[in-house]
Amino acid sequence: MDGAAAIRPAARPSALGRAAFEDFLFAEARLLDDRRFRDWMALFTEDGTYWVPAVAGQDSPLNQVSLFYDDRDLMKTRVDRLEHPRIHVQTPPSRTAHVVGNVMVDAADDAAGEYVVSSSVIMVEYRDDHQRMFAGRQVHRLRRSGDAFRIVQKRVDLINCDSAFDAMAVPI
Amino acid sequence: MVAAMLNGHSDTIATLVEPGRVHRRVYADPDVFELEMERIFGRAWLFVGHTSQVPQPGDYFTTELGRQPVVMTRHRDGAVHVLFNRCTHRGAKVANERCGHAARLTCLYHGWSFDTDGTLAAVPMPEGCAEGFRREAFGLARVPRVAEYRGFVFASLAASGASFEDHIGPIKSNIDDLVDRAPDGALAFDLGVHRYAYDGNWKLQVENVLDSYHVPFGHASTVNKEGVQFARREGDKAGTQVIDKATDQVADKAAETDKSRTSQSWKGRRSYIVGNGHGWTSNTSLDDGKRSSPAFDEYKRVLIDKVGAERAQHILTPRLHNTLIYPNVSIMGLNIHVRVIKPVAFDRTEINVYPVRLVGAPDAMNFGNIRLLNVTHSAASFVQTDDIEAFVRTQKGLRSLAGEWVDISRGLGVEEPDRELNATRASAMHEMAMRAQYKAWLGYMREAA
Repeated sequence: MDGAAAIRPAARPSALGRAAFEDFLFAEARLLDDRRFRDWMALFTEDGTYWVPAVAGQDSPLNQVSLFYDDRDLMKTRVDRLEHPRIHVQTPPSRTAHVVGNVMVDAADDAAGEYVVSSSVIMVEYRDDHQRMFAGRQVHRLRRSGDAFRIVQKRVDLINCDSAFDAMAVPI
Repeated sequence: MVAAMLNGHSDTIATLVEPGRVHRRVYADPDVFELEMERIFGRAWLFVGHTSQVPQPGDYFTTELGRQPVVMTRHRDGAVHVLFNRCTHRGAKVANERCGHAARLTCLYHGWSFDTDGTLAAVPMPEGCAEGFRREAFGLARVPRVAEYRGFVFASLAASGASFEDHIGPIKSNIDDLVDRAPDGALAFDLGVHRYAYDGNWKLQVENVLDSYHVPFGHASTVNKEGVQFARREGDKAGTQVIDKATDQVADKAAETDKSRTSQSWKGRRSYIVGNGHGWTSNTSLDDGKRSSPAFDEYKRVLIDKVGAERAQHILTPRLHNTLIYPNVSIMGLNIHVRVIKPVAFDRTEINVYPVRLVGAPDAMNFGNIRLLNVTHSAASFVQTDDIEAFVRTQKGLRSLAGEWVDISRGLGVEEPDRELNATRASAMHEMAMRAQYKAWLGYMREAA
């Protein structure tokens, strides 16, 4: 495989420019940091999925376990729970700071309004006297809808995806 | 000093368990943990893994028994071995991937290589070996006793003690209950593993497996306004009625006033014990007539084809919620998985949750189970994370010297025999199962090796 080709930005870059995608990713991260989970969920298309694999380089969310693999139904159950007054693992709640960088538009089809954008993500989480860090590469499949992007799939590959985690509650 | 006091002084250990209560040191004392590693994990029959994790000759799977690294291998004659994962030369761990395949296990340090039955196959520069060096004496040590039941591999680090049959016999049918659900009568542990950990004692997870009392409170965030939990089985439209439908929105008030609204169907769950610390909880009634989805219906059809309608009906009737095979493994019968409890330190535990593939079932059925298990038992799940929070808070609370005892007396004295099941039963809202666990615990702990 030609390694250099694999990490080259999309052959036909989007006329929108990288900043448009960066703005979207930054805003998405901000919603998570502000614990606006319901608004975050609304970024996803009706058939959208949020996937955090538990296996490095996982091929499919179907035949192996995942840390998160939510369709909109499960996402709603998750968000309902995050808003529930008796979610013990969020009492006290997590505070998070996301940093999103190294953004690359991997594929762009302006005519169809379909995009694949990859970026590095670091999330520092503080809760109950403990601070810990998650880091990895995330890939957003985006669909342009009017003036906005919707997320068709967000995949986050944590560098330690197959380690033993202390309880996690908030999306990365 | 305390260790010295504990070691060899069975009387001291015996004072830590009383009818209906256990001493806080059982969870909070590192010396008790050291003794557990020796007397429980050093000799009990422990679940190691499943034969499907090493399907082909040369396959291996690494894990720990207590704190000791071991490797389960498939030898070329098909036999499964459990070997201490420690080079017999200078002590390095030989196999280091969680699972893999190798014709020989080769130590990175000086290149000693071992056959998959543990035999030392080759020593580089053998001319340097000391006079009288015998290769046969330097094979990877085998775990003294290994036994298997329907693919479940157990091992004991002690050469003698209760037989496998004596240990596992009373709980075998609970393994059957799971394995029989596979149309081909076999399970495969090849769908990955959820790994989570917590700052708490291993027994907190063990106890929790058969604790139905906590569910309406510990898992309050998993039920909707109707008091119903989300669906946890392929083909279900909804989950269990855990609490009665709210007449107001003030869930917290309900707990405070002991009008918990715990549903009658939930309260009707039972727990059973059969000796050796083993036990199970019965399943809540779920409306099986309505259980249906394309994946489930196809699975049911395949199962009926294989075993007949009557037998399939029996297999598909939920009887078991959680089963505990003391001390380190549980089987969940609802969203099916096998959970391995790995003590790390007195206040640190790792849990490995394996979804099981029902061999012969349609992929969609097995994949549906994976999807539901992500929701209930991943490190980021809706259910297990609140349990973990309870374990962490318990470990913190037990630092307090204000109360020396942990109470497990619910239902003490009202247990009753179940002759049909050859078990002792009680309400699952009681704490009979924990008392049974501590009876087994004390049995191991008070007896010097």
